[in-house]
Amino acid sequence: MIAEQPSDRNEEEVLLAFSVEPTHDRKTLEKYLTDYPEHAKALVACSIELMVDATRSAESVAMSEDAVDRAWQRFQSAVSQPEEASVINPFATLNPGAFKSLAKELDINTLLLSRLRDRAIDAATIPRRFVQRLATELGATTEAIMDYLRSPPAMVSGHSFRSAVKPAVAEQISFEKAVETSQLTHGQQEALKAMRD
Amino acid sequence: MPKPLKKKRSDGTSYERPPEIENWIKKLEMVDVAERLLQFETLSRKSPRYVPSEALVYFLRRAWVEVEGLQGDFEKLFRILMKRIEQSLCSAISDSRMAGARGIREEIMERFAERIAKDCRGRPGLLDFYEIRFDKAFSAFRTSVLRQIGPSAMDTVPLVTEKDDCLEISAEVEAAAADFLGGDPGKLDDPAFRLELTAAIDRLPDDQKLVIGLLLQGFQIDSKDKDVMTIARILQCDERTVRNRRDRACKALRAILQEENAQ
Repeated sequence: MIAEQPSDRNEEEVLLAFSVEPTHDRKTLEKYLTDYPEHAKALVACSIELMVDATRSAESVAMSEDAVDRAWQRFQSAVSQPEEASVINPFATLNPGAFKSLAKELDINTLLLSRLRDRAIDAATIPRRFVQRLATELGATTEAIMDYLRSPPAMVSGHSFRSAVKPAVAEQISFEKAVETSQLTHGQQEALKAMRD
Repeated sequence: MPKPLKKKRSDGTSYERPPEIENWIKKLEMVDVAERLLQFETLSRKSPRYVPSEALVYFLRRAWVEVEGLQGDFEKLFRILMKRIEQSLCSAISDSRMAGARGIREEIMERFAERIAKDCRGRPGLLDFYEIRFDKAFSAFRTSVLRQIGPSAMDTVPLVTEKDDCLEISAEVEAAAADFLGGDPGKLDDPAFRLELTAAIDRLPDDQKLVIGLLLQGFQIDSKDKDVMTIARILQCDERTVRNRRDRACKALRAILQEENAQ
């Protein structure tokens, strides 16, 4: 196996390599900061996390099977999907707050946005104007968003939005049907239908 | 015999599991599958039956390879590992410390599930780190994911309002900082105090946490020598910003420690 050059490593891999070092003292941190200056802040944050981890005590939180079920579903979805190196999930970097803000900006609700994220809607039926707005808000190109929306449907991750329904791979529905069944207001529905190509 | 790790360091040398993990794996290879599963199910680290997560990851990966992805032992091991991860996340990202903690914990778990899937799909090496020092590696993974999806500010103790970092700080705060870190340096050598201090640092906002963490590791704030790695250079900010963050952090730390000692 060929040894990797420092520049080949992404942030996660650099942090993992740092974490398994026998010590995390100044000398080790300095070495990593020198080798990977582009990940300096992440390395420092990681070194502090490693330091404070030891002082954290487990809170007594009632754990449910729910989170484990979701993780298992995500695993099954990820392991069965073909490699899609060129398709990037534009929603991946959104935290729950940013996700809700995006829905607000688009004047839709998080249910419809979740369906778009999970590719539960047939991409061919989504109005071009809507895709353009989504692309603008996500800071991506319309083509990149279309590529993502066209890729196979994913497991409903529901990472911050509770549902009484167990996650499953969604059957794709039309955009129109999604608009009608996403609990949008009448005004929102009309505005979306008016975007039809 | 445990299968060797494939991951290599940037200098070309191979990563290896610590000897105690190798011993655990050898020991568990000798027992039957049902007994092994029983042992893995022990969640409490205090139990003598508790098996390190490094060994659990090893057998999880083997289960996938050996049964060609059939859901059997693999799923059971996967679920046991995820329960351990959830437990550790409840401690690091507790409901009381971060808004939307539950959603964030679940997202981290799901992203880790994706890493396992990648490994199963023939991208070996990614999980090797977790067979060396699981807790540390997972802490690194958590840090990386939180940098992408975590809230920008943690719910921490009340601090001085975040104004422009370059504003001059009051003499009172400056004195508090000097008193705290400079007053009795010997105090930092006391393991009990250091533990208490580290726990208090965990309650600081991220920017102050970074400064204090680097100070504790012995980095200096600034230097005229361009070859010296200083906090200002690492964090790419003005040395006055670093000093102000340090001073605010020291004031907050003193308040936390006083509060802890009063209880």
